[in-house]
Amino acid sequence: MLERLIDHSAAPLRVMVQGATGRAARNHIARMVAAGTTIVAGVSPNAVPGDTVDGLPMFATPAEAVAATGADASLLMVPPLSVLPAAIAALDAGVDLIVTVTEGMPVRDAMHLLHASQAAGATWIGASSPGLVVPGRCKLGFLPDIALSPGPLAIWSKSGTLSYETGLRLVAAGLGQTAWIGVGGDPVKGTRFADLVPAFRDHAPTQAVVVVGEIGGTEEEDLAEALLETPIGKPVYAILAGAAAPEGKTMGHAGAIVSGGKGSLASKISELEAAGVAVFRSLAPMVETITADMKGKTP
Amino acid sequence: MGGLTGFVVWNTSVYNGIKRRPSTGRLAILILEHDAKSLLEQRGMPVPKGLITPVSAPVTPPFPAPWVLKAQVPVGGRGKAGGIIVLSDPGRLAETADQLSALRIKGFPVEEIRVEEAISDAREIYLGLVLDAASGCITLLASATGGMEIEAEAGTGIHQRSARPDTVDMMAALDELAASLPGEVAPAIRAAGAIAVSAFLDLEATLLELNPIFLRDDGSWIAGDVRLGLDENSLSRQPEFAALLDTRPQAYADAVFKRDHGFDLVIVDPEGEIGLVTTGAGLSMQLIDEMTRKGLRPYNFCDIRSGMMRGSPDRLIATLRQLCAAPRLRCVLVNIFAGITDLGEFAELLHRARDAVPELQVPMVVRLVGNGQARAEAILEGSDGRLKLIPDLDLAVAEISELCDA
Repeated sequence: MLERLIDHSAAPLRVMVQGATGRAARNHIARMVAAGTTIVAGVSPNAVPGDTVDGLPMFATPAEAVAATGADASLLMVPPLSVLPAAIAALDAGVDLIVTVTEGMPVRDAMHLLHASQAAGATWIGASSPGLVVPGRCKLGFLPDIALSPGPLAIWSKSGTLSYETGLRLVAAGLGQTAWIGVGGDPVKGTRFADLVPAFRDHAPTQAVVVVGEIGGTEEEDLAEALLETPIGKPVYAILAGAAAPEGKTMGHAGAIVSGGKGSLASKISELEAAGVAVFRSLAPMVETITADMKGKTP
Repeated sequence: MGGLTGFVVWNTSVYNGIKRRPSTGRLAILILEHDAKSLLEQRGMPVPKGLITPVSAPVTPPFPAPWVLKAQVPVGGRGKAGGIIVLSDPGRLAETADQLSALRIKGFPVEEIRVEEAISDAREIYLGLVLDAASGCITLLASATGGMEIEAEAGTGIHQRSARPDTVDMMAALDELAASLPGEVAPAIRAAGAIAVSAFLDLEATLLELNPIFLRDDGSWIAGDVRLGLDENSLSRQPEFAALLDTRPQAYADAVFKRDHGFDLVIVDPEGEIGLVTTGAGLSMQLIDEMTRKGLRPYNFCDIRSGMMRGSPDRLIATLRQLCAAPRLRCVLVNIFAGITDLGEFAELLHRARDAVPELQVPMVVRLVGNGQARAEAILEGSDGRLKLIPDLDLAVAEISELCDA
């Protein structure tokens, strides 16, 4: 699915939005459509046949939406405790991609959804993903338009807002994205950094990868391991947040924990550097370095 | 600053040495030992008799010495830090508690202690259940040797099995684990494990460690120490967890703040000079990192979740009030770069919040990027001489730096 997502010559995703009637959802649907996304249906439990919201046909269940519109991807904008049942309904209806942007999904629910999406052979981006964008092709979620532009970089991020700041500065330097995938900061998630390596290794338009990570978990270390096993064949840059995070204190965002050896900033830096990744702890020098490296490469 | 809740810290746990490291991410709120033992005791887990008491005025237990005095802090490694003291002379309770009250264990002050009956003439064994974030499974671990030096067993003496988060799979894994242990240990691991599996699933735990389990020659056993991590995101459907926050709010202050206000605010430096009103954990952490490296002193971490304010200034008011409590506050940096938030609306809410908290007198530097930026600027520009709008984050931080130097 990731390969199709980032391939401009492949058939566009046909997207349904679950929880499409909320104020935030309607606002964002308009922005997603403006970004080129083919949104074919909305799902809301109270919908009756013939209902529309801002012109979008509404259905009571994902099964009805898929049957009527051929939707093959779903964006879920539902409350935290509804994510699991809504996502299972989407998987049962046969979609290949689910993106969940809700923050606060219980870990146990995420564990069940991970296994369900794997069993269904579907890709799950989330929990608490800010969304994903392939500029000029589609946008699912909240990623801010001001930081989006077609270009040569892939952005993979655990953190939403830090990636916004990163994306904005790179765009200001003339460097947009082939794709931007917010995998989310929760511990249990459908797609981890390492899972993104194969699709982007073979993706010629992507000339470099920018990883936005943070303390907590072992996702950066696992990425380093994946890169060592099968080199991606293009430069990888990483910015890591949390150097000053006090040990053992809540930092709110899932993933933000200093977890002894692994998960610490030091462990992430050393393992990523050993895998050939250029690691930065401040934004300005990273943007300068990427800009200098890319000079002359960008068509 | 007392009784801050925290996340599970792994450096004293057994996992550093095992082959497949657990990928934990944020695990949970670590429940204090006393509360964890109470939760498990209600489920039939045998634990030593004990009570929780303020370290400053310890209550004499209604059971005979020797006692073990245990600092109640939400981090591991208490024993090695001197936070656990065996006391055989009941007359020295206050004096020994005093000794504990002087400790800071990984930054946490000791405010409460658990006084419990000492268990003697027993061997120590180990059982742990922990989330493996990468696989979405639970790793069950057991060892015929437990205690503070459990890490030395990692790789050799610790047996482990992975299971899906359901009773059948976990009990099967437990059975296999027990079968791999010496015969005199297996029954205790089976019995303790059955209670642990059921508690782990019921409470939506992400960590449950019994270390040590005291095992006597006659086969009887008792859980000597318990580490329990619960998932904050499950709070609304976990009545026992919710009740714990209600009855002991001082012990779980961050979690209570998050529950009551719907967002995260953590004081990272009580002597800090810069108040942060920011959205997004990653960018807030990065700002703290970059400021700290420049020698600046941020007071707090803040992920206000501006996209979830629903037209109410309550979160901003709560944040500004909290900043008023910072004794050395020099200035406030507001940084909102959000995919969701309408900045025009945010600017109005910020305006209302400032009116509601007039006691916050320090200058405010505001940087807003995103939808509705122009309207936001129109609302805030010139609204107040103490508020300065700066569109670039580095320039905003430079301005903050100047304000702190002044």
